[in-house]
Amino acid sequence: MNALAELLKSIRPEFDFTTSSDFIADGMLDSFDMVTLVATLDKTYGISIEGVDIVPEHFHNLDAIAVLLKKYGVEAT
Amino acid sequence: MHLVESTSEVGEAVNRAKTDSFGYCSNFFPSTRKLQSWITHGDLFCDQRDGVALFLRRDRDFWHLYFCAANPTFLQRAVTALPMLKIEPVVLDLIGKESALAEMVGLFEDAGFRFYNRLFRMARTVPTVTPSVNVAPDSRVVVPDKTDCQPILDLLLRSFDCRAEQIPMLYEIEAAVEGRQIRVARCAGTLAGLLFFETQGMTSTLRYWLIAPEFRSQRFGSGLMHRYFAEHPVVRRFLLWVVASNTNAIGKYEHYGFAPEGLVDYVLANEKIRP
Repeated sequence: MNALAELLKSIRPEFDFTTSSDFIADGMLDSFDMVTLVATLDKTYGISIEGVDIVPEHFHNLDAIAVLLKKYGVEAT
Repeated sequence: MHLVESTSEVGEAVNRAKTDSFGYCSNFFPSTRKLQSWITHGDLFCDQRDGVALFLRRDRDFWHLYFCAANPTFLQRAVTALPMLKIEPVVLDLIGKESALAEMVGLFEDAGFRFYNRLFRMARTVPTVTPSVNVAPDSRVVVPDKTDCQPILDLLLRSFDCRAEQIPMLYEIEAAVEGRQIRVARCAGTLAGLLFFETQGMTSTLRYWLIAPEFRSQRFGSGLMHRYFAEHPVVRRFLLWVVASNTNAIGKYEHYGFAPEGLVDYVLANEKIRP
Protein backbone atom coordinates (compact mmCIF):
# COMPACT_ATOMS: atom_id res chain seq x y z
CA MET A 1 0.00 0.00 0.00
CA ASN A 2 3.03 2.26 0.39
CA ALA A 3 3.44 2.52 -3.36
CA LEU A 4 -0.16 3.67 -3.66
CA ALA A 5 0.30 6.28 -0.94
CA GLU A 6 3.42 7.54 -2.70
CA LEU A 7 1.58 7.73 -5.98
CA LEU A 8 -1.14 9.82 -4.34
CA LYS A 9 1.47 12.02 -2.75
CA SER A 10 2.91 12.73 -6.19
CA ILE A 11 -0.47 14.22 -7.08
CA ARG A 12 -1.09 16.08 -3.81
CA PRO A 13 2.26 16.42 -2.01
CA GLU A 14 0.80 18.48 0.83
CA PHE A 15 -1.18 15.56 2.26
CA ASP A 16 -0.26 12.36 4.09
CA PHE A 17 -2.61 9.76 2.61
CA THR A 18 -1.73 7.12 5.17
CA THR A 19 -3.52 9.04 7.94
CA SER A 20 -6.98 9.40 6.41
CA SER A 21 -9.79 6.92 5.92
CA ASP A 22 -11.83 9.28 3.73
CA PHE A 23 -9.83 11.35 1.27
CA ILE A 24 -12.94 13.06 -0.12
CA ALA A 25 -14.45 14.13 3.23
CA ASP A 26 -11.04 15.24 4.44
CA GLY A 27 -10.60 17.46 1.39
CA MET A 28 -7.50 15.63 0.18
CA LEU A 29 -8.87 14.68 -3.24
CA ASP A 30 -11.41 16.57 -5.34
CA SER A 31 -13.06 15.65 -8.64
CA PHE A 32 -10.18 17.02 -10.68
CA ASP A 33 -7.62 15.15 -8.60
CA MET A 34 -9.64 11.99 -9.18
CA VAL A 35 -9.37 12.43 -12.95
CA THR A 36 -5.60 12.93 -12.59
CA LEU A 37 -5.39 9.90 -10.33
CA VAL A 38 -7.25 7.71 -12.82
CA ALA A 39 -4.88 8.77 -15.59
CA THR A 40 -1.90 8.08 -13.32
CA LEU A 41 -3.19 4.65 -12.30
CA ASP A 42 -3.89 3.78 -15.96
CA LYS A 43 -0.38 4.75 -16.94
CA THR A 44 1.43 3.24 -13.93
CA TYR A 45 -0.30 -0.14 -14.07
CA GLY A 46 -1.04 -0.37 -17.81
CA ILE A 47 -4.80 -0.57 -17.29
CA SER A 48 -7.80 1.38 -18.52
CA ILE A 49 -10.26 2.20 -15.75
CA GLU A 50 -13.79 2.35 -17.12
CA GLY A 51 -15.99 5.41 -16.73
CA VAL A 52 -18.45 3.55 -14.56
CA ASP A 53 -15.69 2.99 -12.00
CA ILE A 54 -14.78 6.66 -11.77
CA VAL A 55 -16.90 7.40 -8.72
CA PRO A 56 -15.84 8.83 -5.33
CA GLU A 57 -16.48 5.60 -3.42
CA HIS A 58 -13.65 3.91 -5.33
CA PHE A 59 -11.16 6.58 -4.28
CA HIS A 60 -12.04 7.49 -0.73
CA ASN A 61 -9.13 5.64 0.89
CA LEU A 62 -6.18 3.37 0.12
CA ASP A 63 -8.19 0.17 0.66
CA ALA A 64 -10.91 1.28 -1.76
CA ILE A 65 -8.35 2.11 -4.44
CA ALA A 66 -6.66 -1.27 -3.88
CA VAL A 67 -10.01 -3.04 -4.35
CA LEU A 68 -10.59 -1.11 -7.57
CA LEU A 69 -7.13 -2.01 -8.86
CA LYS A 70 -7.73 -5.65 -8.01
CA LYS A 71 -10.75 -5.60 -10.33
CA TYR A 72 -8.29 -4.74 -13.12
CA GLY A 73 -5.86 -7.48 -12.07
CA VAL A 74 -3.45 -5.24 -10.17
CA GLU A 75 -2.22 -6.07 -6.66
CA ALA A 76 -1.39 -2.78 -4.96
CA THR A 77 1.81 -2.87 -2.90
CA MET B 1 -35.21 17.76 -22.05
CA HIS B 2 -36.94 17.32 -18.72
CA LEU B 3 -36.83 18.82 -15.27
CA VAL B 4 -34.60 16.85 -12.88
CA GLU B 5 -36.44 15.93 -9.72
CA SER B 6 -33.93 13.95 -7.66
CA THR B 7 -30.20 13.41 -7.24
CA SER B 8 -30.67 9.69 -7.90
CA GLU B 9 -32.07 10.56 -11.32
CA VAL B 10 -28.82 12.43 -12.01
CA GLY B 11 -26.78 9.48 -10.78
CA GLU B 12 -28.65 7.08 -13.02
CA ALA B 13 -28.23 9.32 -16.07
CA VAL B 14 -24.50 9.65 -15.41
CA ASN B 15 -24.11 5.90 -14.88
CA ARG B 16 -25.89 5.16 -18.16
CA ALA B 17 -23.42 7.45 -19.93
CA LYS B 18 -20.51 5.72 -18.18
CA THR B 19 -21.57 2.16 -18.93
CA ASP B 20 -19.14 0.50 -21.34
CA SER B 21 -17.46 3.84 -21.92
CA PHE B 22 -13.85 4.12 -22.96
CA GLY B 23 -13.00 7.76 -23.42
CA TYR B 24 -15.51 8.98 -20.87
CA CYS B 25 -15.60 12.76 -20.69
CA SER B 26 -17.41 15.19 -18.43
CA ASN B 27 -17.50 18.74 -17.13
CA PHE B 28 -20.07 17.92 -14.44
CA PHE B 29 -18.56 17.86 -10.94
CA PRO B 30 -21.15 19.35 -8.56
CA SER B 31 -21.09 18.64 -4.86
CA THR B 32 -24.14 16.74 -3.63
CA ARG B 33 -25.27 19.78 -1.67
CA LYS B 34 -25.07 22.05 -4.70
CA LEU B 35 -26.81 19.52 -6.90
CA GLN B 36 -29.63 19.13 -4.38
CA SER B 37 -30.02 22.89 -4.18
CA TRP B 38 -30.38 23.26 -7.98
CA ILE B 39 -32.94 20.45 -8.06
CA THR B 40 -34.94 21.86 -5.14
CA HIS B 41 -35.19 25.21 -6.92
CA GLY B 42 -36.19 23.66 -10.24
CA ASP B 43 -33.09 24.92 -12.03
CA LEU B 44 -31.70 21.65 -13.45
CA PHE B 45 -32.84 19.91 -16.65
CA CYS B 46 -31.57 16.74 -18.33
CA ASP B 47 -31.45 15.30 -21.84
CA GLN B 48 -30.35 11.68 -22.13
CA ARG B 49 -29.45 10.03 -25.43
CA ASP B 50 -27.02 7.45 -26.85
CA GLY B 51 -24.36 7.29 -24.15
CA VAL B 52 -24.63 10.94 -23.24
CA ALA B 53 -26.30 12.83 -20.40
CA LEU B 54 -26.62 16.56 -21.01
CA PHE B 55 -27.61 18.81 -18.12
CA LEU B 56 -28.74 22.40 -18.42
CA ARG B 57 -28.85 24.62 -15.38
CA ARG B 58 -30.84 27.82 -15.41
CA ASP B 59 -28.88 30.87 -14.21
CA ARG B 60 -30.75 34.19 -14.42
CA ASP B 61 -31.16 34.91 -18.16
CA PHE B 62 -28.90 32.15 -19.52
CA TRP B 63 -28.02 28.45 -19.09
CA HIS B 64 -24.96 26.42 -18.10
CA LEU B 65 -24.37 23.26 -20.12
CA TYR B 66 -22.86 20.19 -18.44
CA PHE B 67 -22.16 16.84 -20.05
CA CYS B 68 -21.29 13.25 -19.18
CA ALA B 69 -20.46 11.29 -22.31
CA ALA B 70 -19.22 7.81 -23.10
CA ASN B 71 -16.84 9.34 -25.63
CA PRO B 72 -16.32 12.58 -27.62
CA THR B 73 -18.02 11.23 -30.76
CA PHE B 74 -21.27 10.56 -28.90
CA LEU B 75 -20.96 13.94 -27.22
CA GLN B 76 -20.63 15.79 -30.51
CA ARG B 77 -23.69 14.01 -31.87
CA ALA B 78 -25.75 14.84 -28.78
CA VAL B 79 -24.74 18.49 -28.67
CA THR B 80 -25.46 18.99 -32.34
CA ALA B 81 -28.90 17.41 -31.93
CA LEU B 82 -30.03 19.51 -28.97
CA PRO B 83 -32.40 22.22 -30.31
CA MET B 84 -32.18 24.30 -27.15
CA LEU B 85 -28.59 25.21 -27.95
CA LYS B 86 -29.78 27.03 -31.07
CA ILE B 87 -32.35 29.21 -29.35
CA GLU B 88 -31.20 29.87 -25.76
CA PRO B 89 -28.09 31.67 -24.45
CA VAL B 90 -25.77 28.92 -23.16
CA VAL B 91 -22.28 28.82 -21.66
CA LEU B 92 -20.15 25.85 -20.71
CA ASP B 93 -16.94 25.37 -18.78
CA LEU B 94 -14.23 23.00 -19.96
CA ILE B 95 -11.84 22.24 -17.13
CA GLY B 96 -8.55 20.39 -17.25
CA LYS B 97 -4.90 20.70 -18.09
CA GLU B 98 -4.37 23.19 -20.89
CA SER B 99 -2.81 20.61 -23.20
CA ALA B 100 -5.70 18.17 -22.77
CA LEU B 101 -8.51 20.56 -23.64
CA ALA B 102 -7.82 21.32 -27.28
CA GLU B 103 -9.89 18.43 -28.65
CA MET B 104 -12.90 19.28 -26.50
CA VAL B 105 -12.71 23.00 -27.32
CA GLY B 106 -12.64 22.10 -31.03
CA LEU B 107 -15.64 19.81 -30.61
CA PHE B 108 -17.76 22.58 -29.13
CA GLU B 109 -16.51 25.16 -31.62
CA ASP B 110 -17.74 22.83 -34.37
CA ALA B 111 -21.10 22.81 -32.58
CA GLY B 112 -21.36 26.62 -32.70
CA PHE B 113 -19.69 27.66 -29.45
CA ARG B 114 -16.85 30.17 -29.29
CA PHE B 115 -14.26 31.28 -26.76
CA TYR B 116 -15.71 33.56 -24.08
CA ASN B 117 -13.15 33.69 -21.26
CA ARG B 118 -10.37 31.74 -19.62
CA LEU B 119 -9.74 31.20 -15.92
CA PHE B 120 -7.02 29.30 -14.15
CA ARG B 121 -6.77 27.73 -10.74
CA MET B 122 -4.30 28.95 -8.13
CA ALA B 123 -3.33 27.10 -4.98
CA ARG B 124 -1.72 28.05 -1.73
CA THR B 125 -0.36 25.09 0.15
CA VAL B 126 0.53 25.29 3.80
CA PRO B 127 3.09 25.86 5.15
CA THR B 128 3.69 28.94 3.08
CA VAL B 129 5.03 32.11 4.56
CA THR B 130 2.12 34.52 4.82
CA PRO B 131 3.14 38.17 4.67
CA SER B 132 1.46 39.27 7.90
CA VAL B 133 0.71 36.31 10.12
CA ASN B 134 0.71 38.35 13.31
CA VAL B 135 -1.65 41.07 12.16
CA ALA B 136 -4.29 41.96 14.75
CA PRO B 137 -7.85 40.98 13.78
CA ASP B 138 -9.68 43.68 11.84
CA SER B 139 -12.83 44.56 13.83
CA ARG B 140 -14.53 45.75 10.64
CA VAL B 141 -14.62 42.12 9.41
CA VAL B 142 -17.67 40.26 10.67
CA VAL B 143 -19.91 37.26 10.00
CA PRO B 144 -22.90 38.47 7.95
CA ASP B 145 -26.55 37.88 8.77
CA LYS B 146 -29.66 37.34 6.63
CA THR B 147 -30.07 41.07 5.93
CA ASP B 148 -26.71 41.05 4.15
CA CYS B 149 -27.70 38.47 1.51
CA GLN B 150 -29.16 40.82 -1.08
CA PRO B 151 -26.38 43.43 -0.70
CA ILE B 152 -23.83 40.61 -1.07
CA LEU B 153 -25.50 39.44 -4.28
CA ASP B 154 -25.71 43.02 -5.60
CA LEU B 155 -22.01 43.54 -4.96
CA LEU B 156 -21.10 40.25 -6.66
CA LEU B 157 -23.21 41.06 -9.71
CA ARG B 158 -21.70 44.54 -9.92
CA SER B 159 -18.17 43.20 -9.74
CA PHE B 160 -18.10 39.94 -11.69
CA ASP B 161 -19.25 38.54 -15.01
CA CYS B 162 -21.95 36.03 -14.09
CA ARG B 163 -21.47 34.09 -17.34
CA ALA B 164 -17.82 33.32 -16.61
CA GLU B 165 -17.58 33.47 -12.84
CA GLN B 166 -20.45 31.33 -11.54
CA ILE B 167 -22.17 33.97 -9.41
CA PRO B 168 -24.40 32.22 -6.87
CA MET B 169 -28.14 32.64 -6.83
CA LEU B 170 -29.73 34.43 -3.87
CA TYR B 171 -30.73 31.08 -2.36
CA GLU B 172 -27.11 29.92 -2.52
CA ILE B 173 -25.96 33.07 -0.74
CA GLU B 174 -28.61 32.56 1.93
CA ALA B 175 -27.36 29.01 2.46
CA ALA B 176 -23.76 30.23 2.57
CA VAL B 177 -24.59 32.89 5.15
CA GLU B 178 -26.38 30.29 7.23
CA GLY B 179 -23.38 27.96 6.86
CA ARG B 180 -20.99 30.77 7.89
CA GLN B 181 -19.12 30.61 4.58
CA ILE B 182 -18.98 34.38 4.10
CA ARG B 183 -17.20 37.17 5.93
CA VAL B 184 -17.98 40.80 5.22
CA ALA B 185 -16.19 44.06 5.87
CA ARG B 186 -18.43 46.89 6.99
CA CYS B 187 -17.76 50.62 6.99
CA ALA B 188 -20.28 52.80 8.81
CA GLY B 189 -22.94 50.14 8.34
CA THR B 190 -22.33 49.77 4.60
CA LEU B 191 -21.07 46.58 2.96
CA ALA B 192 -17.52 47.44 1.90
CA GLY B 193 -16.37 44.00 0.81
CA LEU B 194 -16.68 40.28 1.26
CA LEU B 195 -14.88 36.98 1.21
CA PHE B 196 -16.84 33.85 0.28
CA PHE B 197 -15.33 30.40 0.78
CA GLU B 198 -16.20 26.70 0.72
CA THR B 199 -14.23 24.40 2.99
CA GLN B 200 -14.06 20.62 2.79
CA GLY B 201 -11.73 19.05 5.33
CA MET B 202 -8.20 20.21 4.68
CA THR B 203 -9.03 22.07 1.46
CA SER B 204 -10.74 25.41 1.23
CA THR B 205 -11.83 27.14 -1.98
CA LEU B 206 -11.88 30.91 -1.96
CA ARG B 207 -14.81 31.63 -4.24
CA TYR B 208 -14.93 35.42 -4.12
CA TRP B 209 -12.88 38.14 -2.48
CA LEU B 210 -13.73 41.68 -3.38
CA ILE B 211 -13.95 45.21 -2.10
CA ALA B 212 -16.42 47.73 -3.53
CA PRO B 213 -14.54 50.37 -5.57
CA GLU B 214 -15.42 53.20 -3.18
CA PHE B 215 -13.82 51.34 -0.26
CA ARG B 216 -10.54 50.27 -1.83
CA SER B 217 -7.12 51.20 -0.40
CA GLN B 218 -8.47 51.08 3.15
CA ARG B 219 -7.07 47.62 3.99
CA PHE B 220 -10.47 45.92 4.01
CA GLY B 221 -9.14 43.28 1.60
CA SER B 222 -6.20 42.30 3.79
CA GLY B 223 -8.47 42.27 6.85
CA LEU B 224 -10.74 39.76 5.16
CA MET B 225 -7.92 37.59 3.88
CA HIS B 226 -6.11 37.44 7.23
CA ARG B 227 -9.34 36.56 8.99
CA TYR B 228 -9.97 33.80 6.43
CA PHE B 229 -6.53 32.25 6.94
CA ALA B 230 -6.71 32.62 10.72
CA GLU B 231 -10.05 30.83 10.85
CA HIS B 232 -8.74 27.85 8.85
CA PRO B 233 -5.76 26.56 10.82
CA VAL B 234 -6.20 22.94 9.70
CA VAL B 235 -6.54 23.71 5.99
CA ARG B 236 -3.48 22.61 4.03
CA ARG B 237 -4.61 23.65 0.55
CA PHE B 238 -6.38 26.88 -0.39
CA LEU B 239 -7.73 27.07 -3.94
CA LEU B 240 -9.29 29.71 -6.14
CA TRP B 241 -10.18 30.37 -9.76
CA VAL B 242 -9.20 33.68 -11.34
CA VAL B 243 -9.83 35.22 -14.77
CA ALA B 244 -6.54 34.86 -16.63
CA SER B 245 -6.55 38.48 -17.83
CA ASN B 246 -7.12 39.92 -14.34
CA THR B 247 -3.49 40.70 -13.60
CA ASN B 248 -4.40 42.96 -10.69
CA ALA B 249 -6.17 40.15 -8.83
CA ILE B 250 -3.49 37.61 -9.75
CA GLY B 251 -0.82 39.88 -8.26
CA LYS B 252 -2.76 40.17 -5.03
CA TYR B 253 -3.24 36.40 -4.79
CA GLU B 254 0.47 35.86 -5.41
CA HIS B 255 1.16 38.26 -2.55
CA TYR B 256 -0.74 35.89 -0.26
CA GLY B 257 1.17 32.85 -1.46
CA PHE B 258 -1.09 31.52 -4.23
CA ALA B 259 0.46 30.18 -7.42
CA PRO B 260 -0.97 28.68 -10.64
CA GLU B 261 -1.34 24.92 -10.30
CA GLY B 262 -2.03 23.83 -13.86
CA LEU B 263 -5.81 23.59 -14.19
CA VAL B 264 -7.57 25.92 -16.61
CA ASP B 265 -11.24 26.63 -17.29
CA TYR B 266 -12.19 27.54 -20.84
CA VAL B 267 -15.55 29.26 -20.81
CA LEU B 268 -17.31 28.87 -24.15
CA ALA B 269 -20.55 30.56 -25.18
CA ASN B 270 -22.99 29.97 -27.98
CA GLU B 271 -24.01 32.61 -30.51
CA LYS B 272 -26.91 33.82 -28.33
CA ILE B 273 -24.44 35.34 -25.89
CA ARG B 274 -22.63 38.46 -26.98
CA PRO B 275 -18.90 38.71 -26.18
